[in-house]
Amino acid sequence: MHKKSAAEKVILTLLTVLVIIFFMFPIVWLVTTAFKYGRDAFAIPPKWFLFDWTFKNFQEALDNAATGKFILNSLIISTGATTLSLALGVPAGYAIARTKSRLINLSSYFFLLLLMVPPIAMLIPFYLIMRDVHLLGSYWAVILIDTAFDASFVVWMMRSYFADVPREMEEAAWVDGASRIGAFFKVALPLSIPGVAASALYTFIYSWNDFLFALMLTSPKTKTIPLGILASFSAVEIGWGRMATLSVFAIIPAVIISLFLNRYFVQGLTMGATKG
Amino acid sequence: MTQSFTKTMRRFITNDGSYLLLALPLLIFVVVIAIYPLFFSFRISLFDYRLTDPNQTQTFVGFGNYLRAFTDEVITNSVKATLVYVAGTVVVEILLGLGMALLLSAETRIAQIIRSFLLIPMALPPLVVGLVWKSLYNVDFGIIPYYLAQLGIDLGRGPLSELHLAMPSIILVDVWEWTPLVMILFLAGIKSLPTEPYEAATVDGASRLQSFWYLTLPLLKPTFLVVLLLRTMQSFKVFDTIYATTAGGPGTLTTVLNYQIYKVGLTFFDMGYAAALANILLVIVAILSILYIMVLERQQL
Repeated sequence: MHKKSAAEKVILTLLTVLVIIFFMFPIVWLVTTAFKYGRDAFAIPPKWFLFDWTFKNFQEALDNAATGKFILNSLIISTGATTLSLALGVPAGYAIARTKSRLINLSSYFFLLLLMVPPIAMLIPFYLIMRDVHLLGSYWAVILIDTAFDASFVVWMMRSYFADVPREMEEAAWVDGASRIGAFFKVALPLSIPGVAASALYTFIYSWNDFLFALMLTSPKTKTIPLGILASFSAVEIGWGRMATLSVFAIIPAVIISLFLNRYFVQGLTMGATKG
Repeated sequence: MTQSFTKTMRRFITNDGSYLLLALPLLIFVVVIAIYPLFFSFRISLFDYRLTDPNQTQTFVGFGNYLRAFTDEVITNSVKATLVYVAGTVVVEILLGLGMALLLSAETRIAQIIRSFLLIPMALPPLVVGLVWKSLYNVDFGIIPYYLAQLGIDLGRGPLSELHLAMPSIILVDVWEWTPLVMILFLAGIKSLPTEPYEAATVDGASRLQSFWYLTLPLLKPTFLVVLLLRTMQSFKVFDTIYATTAGGPGTLTTVLNYQIYKVGLTFFDMGYAAALANILLVIVAILSILYIMVLERQQL
């Protein structure tokens, strides 16, 4: 084997440090800005860590009723879309994994294709339809369009998960007189809780991060966090502190998922190209 | 005959019938919430339909909206912007992503920790990514113009406003957001490489650079293909970060097709034309998606 020389080691370490700096400095900047007074946020030269740390921005954000409403709306929409996607997608994923019918089997590709539809192509007709059925501005409008994408993802994910769950237990249940559907609920579903949880996390993040659908389909009463962040940014005076604080709330799920549950998350983003 | 038919029917009901029943709620949902809108979109793309028109008249124009797209200079420009954006992001991300995969492929604890931190950018709300970079690029208080000025590089009216800087600046945002995903794909590709050719190459006295050039790169061809298709597909759909940073400007320099469709449909409310444009984008992305699925399938065999 080739041995790495000392010079090579130094260069590789240096490159690694550069990579870390490039990918982490915007996040460090964002999080620290949330703890800055206005004068430090705009200080030139920039103050990275040596400034008056304060919880003032968080205090103000939590005192502001609008902030709570944005967070609540994001929670309602993300939870709603996740619940609906799982209720529809998990049984369908199981059916596709277990069926011998070629037609149902092929439908998994159909869901993968659906997942790749440009959101704007779906949004334009959906906007008109929601307007006609008077759902524009309601939670349902965003939940439904999110679910169209989320549920397609859940099917795709659960199909491959169920394919790895051995059939013997279900077959034993059939012998004991359980129906196919009974075996799904009593045997297969409890065995696949990790897969369901992983799907739930991905769909939750997808809805939580969504901006375009919320921009067009929500009303002032149902606005989500990204719209709240945008509003604080476009105010007359640039509210960096407020923007940063709301953003910190917005990125919490993302950071938790990337640090602790990353393999499921990557599987979702690459649409099946990596297997955990 | 009848008996065997009943038997087949019964088997169908207990097997495929049950499975169909489990999949049915989703199938109904998808037809109503996704398929119907896509057909509806095709229908309105055949009409001149403007929500700003007080009478809400819909005039049938056949494929007029599609033909209009091909002669519309605004669209030609946005297609050019899209191609520059897609080519720029995909090429830089592949080169950088491959480099990072090689740099961080070791199975040490420290490399693992670095890799999981690198996943954060792609998990963030893209709107937040855009706004953060907009702040970093801010010409008065942003840290990027400040540090570059220290190095003697003058950015004029700022990275997002100067004509020659706007496109590279938003490409950099995309590179920041998505290169780690490319890295992950290359890492998976590198892990699945066979070890025998490398042993043989070492025995034959090949240098590390030689085995990289003659072995690793050719063996990674399938991964390159997957990355290329996936990232091209995703890059065509960029919206949030452009909305947050340049809003398509300066002028219409960074108005990519996806953003242009949003402007036509949801700010000018020219729905028929927007639907036609959206369908054109849909076809482009669908072709890429089908290719992607075919490539994945072939690799799993």
